[in-house]
Amino acid sequence: MTTQKFTLNNILQDRVLSLSLTIVFLMLVLTLLYPTQFATWDNFSQVLLNLSIDTIVAVGMMILMIGGMFDLSVGSVVAFSGGLAGYLMYHQDLPVALAVLAGLSGATLVGLVNGWLIARIGINPMIQTLAMMGIVRGFALMLSGAGLQNFPWEFIVIGQSKLLQLQTPVWYMLFIVLGINFLVQRTTFFRRYYFIGGNERAARLSGIQVERMKIWAFVISALLAGIAGILLSSRLGAALSTSGRGLELRVITAVILGGASLAGGQGRILGAFLGALFMAIINNALIIGRVSGYWQEVILGVILILAVAMDQLLLRRVSRK
Amino acid sequence: MLIQNISRTLLFLLILVCGSCELPPRNQEGTGKAINTQEAFRTATTPSADEEYIMVTTAINLPLYVNHDQAAFKAWGEKKGVKTTILGPAEWDVPTQIATLEQVIPSRPAGLLINGTDPGIAQAIRKAVAAGIPTVVYDSEIPNSNRHCFIGSDWYEMGYLQGKRMAQLLKGKGKVAVMGILGMENMEAGFRGFLDAIKPFPSIEYLGKYDDKANVETAARIAADLISAHPDLAGMAGFDSNSGPGMALAVKEANRIGRIKLTTVDAEPEHLKLVQAGVIDYLVGQKRELFTALGAQFLYDMRHGTLQLSANDAKAGVVPIPRTVITGSIEIDKTNFAQFIQ
Repeated sequence: MTTQKFTLNNILQDRVLSLSLTIVFLMLVLTLLYPTQFATWDNFSQVLLNLSIDTIVAVGMMILMIGGMFDLSVGSVVAFSGGLAGYLMYHQDLPVALAVLAGLSGATLVGLVNGWLIARIGINPMIQTLAMMGIVRGFALMLSGAGLQNFPWEFIVIGQSKLLQLQTPVWYMLFIVLGINFLVQRTTFFRRYYFIGGNERAARLSGIQVERMKIWAFVISALLAGIAGILLSSRLGAALSTSGRGLELRVITAVILGGASLAGGQGRILGAFLGALFMAIINNALIIGRVSGYWQEVILGVILILAVAMDQLLLRRVSRK
Repeated sequence: MLIQNISRTLLFLLILVCGSCELPPRNQEGTGKAINTQEAFRTATTPSADEEYIMVTTAINLPLYVNHDQAAFKAWGEKKGVKTTILGPAEWDVPTQIATLEQVIPSRPAGLLINGTDPGIAQAIRKAVAAGIPTVVYDSEIPNSNRHCFIGSDWYEMGYLQGKRMAQLLKGKGKVAVMGILGMENMEAGFRGFLDAIKPFPSIEYLGKYDDKANVETAARIAADLISAHPDLAGMAGFDSNSGPGMALAVKEANRIGRIKLTTVDAEPEHLKLVQAGVIDYLVGQKRELFTALGAQFLYDMRHGTLQLSANDAKAGVVPIPRTVITGSIEIDKTNFAQFIQ
């Protein structure tokens, strides 16, 4: 029985396993190609740091996509939460803890509005979150202006401290990934998203309060984007109105690579992390290999198409059986 | 027994974690301070062909960057016989520029030429300087970055020049608006310069600043909306490379050429053609080739000690290149545009 679990078919169909193996293979190849540049602790910690913000947002996006939804406003929320906290510290002299709390509350409010309008009023998620993306970016611009700097040290500590040679956003990312992965695997609350994403009507008939669950998904996703925004501002020592531009597409790519389906009902939190890690390693390899930015866009686009195509091929293979 | 073992393990981990915790320094400022570490930057006595100078920018396909910054940087590298590399995201994406910069640092290039896109990149620049890499910031100054040199334009002055010329063109009266990328430090400085220049003219009514997102279509739409909302609009000023062509398109479509005065930054062929056609009245260009060619030369000089100011500048903590270079602006109008058309 055990040997059956490790057949090529099973490996290919388990995205977390196949992506893990791909990442290991990729890392081995890059270590051979760039032994002094890729396989160093400096580089490894830098890759983890750079993927930390995207991964935290990707975890929220994975919950949404398991439930058959997505949120295009997460990038703007990243800029907004950092901007709001920064504005309150810089212009209103608010204590760091309160400013951070306000930033997170602002982000949560955005998620609540998105969720409520989508679940209760029935606005299409793409239209609603696209509109919200513009609205929230506008607020971020108003708050951050030309960029806010010179934050209190107590705020800088959040994102610039190091623990065991790794900068704190990496630890927050690991804590969030492992914590939410545990919750999604072990709690009824989060398991319901698989039912909702798989068959919303059946989920409703089985007594799940679909609307309420959808609102919660948007709130959780926005809260995670808010945390990412605070971490990014603290890490950079600045609140930038341009933060998070294009983040939503990077995150959706990572989540799809990690095994989520646009149709919903599929995906694992570890997959979101691995998807982001895979993209970060590819990005890192392109930088180490001195590949021009033009090609980086092309290569990342091709990877997304390959991932989706592989998904479709596997689905066909499974349905034939 | 088990509980005791777990407690001991947890205590050991807690001590390990606390002992490994490294907090950021309380004072992160440093621009202009003398460097006093023993090996402040890496030097080499003889130039080599694999010596690599890296430009880290954002929006690397922006024609303004490609035609001026990147072309001058590449030409400099070919002339010097050293390797030049250009890295950064295709879109205007500062966090990705920061990530690129941070991933380049471990490879210890001979020098880094960094486009000063946003104050948020200061921390990454400090990392490069701390790693001993000669580092020049160009275009816009990055406060508290510890960079070895800044070379670029004074955006306040560019805004001031536009405001002064606009006041002349309007003979001191009329409605004006400005557009560019809102939230960018350099453009906000430009807006301030523009406002200060028109302040002595109370009959000039300032309608506000608008975000054209460095996009021609958006600039054209905003300009068209302004023309509709204010039929007596007298002038518009642009602060990014695409503001001018966008404003010009709207003015042409509204058939208001010459009646609405336009000033903008940059002197690309499309801007010059619009001056030739009489649609744009005034351009303020940057000396961008100087940013990167001179900036790269500074990096080279620093690495190879072209001009030594002490027995060992790196060890003495002396930066043997200028700390700040303002290149000035190029003013173009119908009287001299022909000199710039190639």
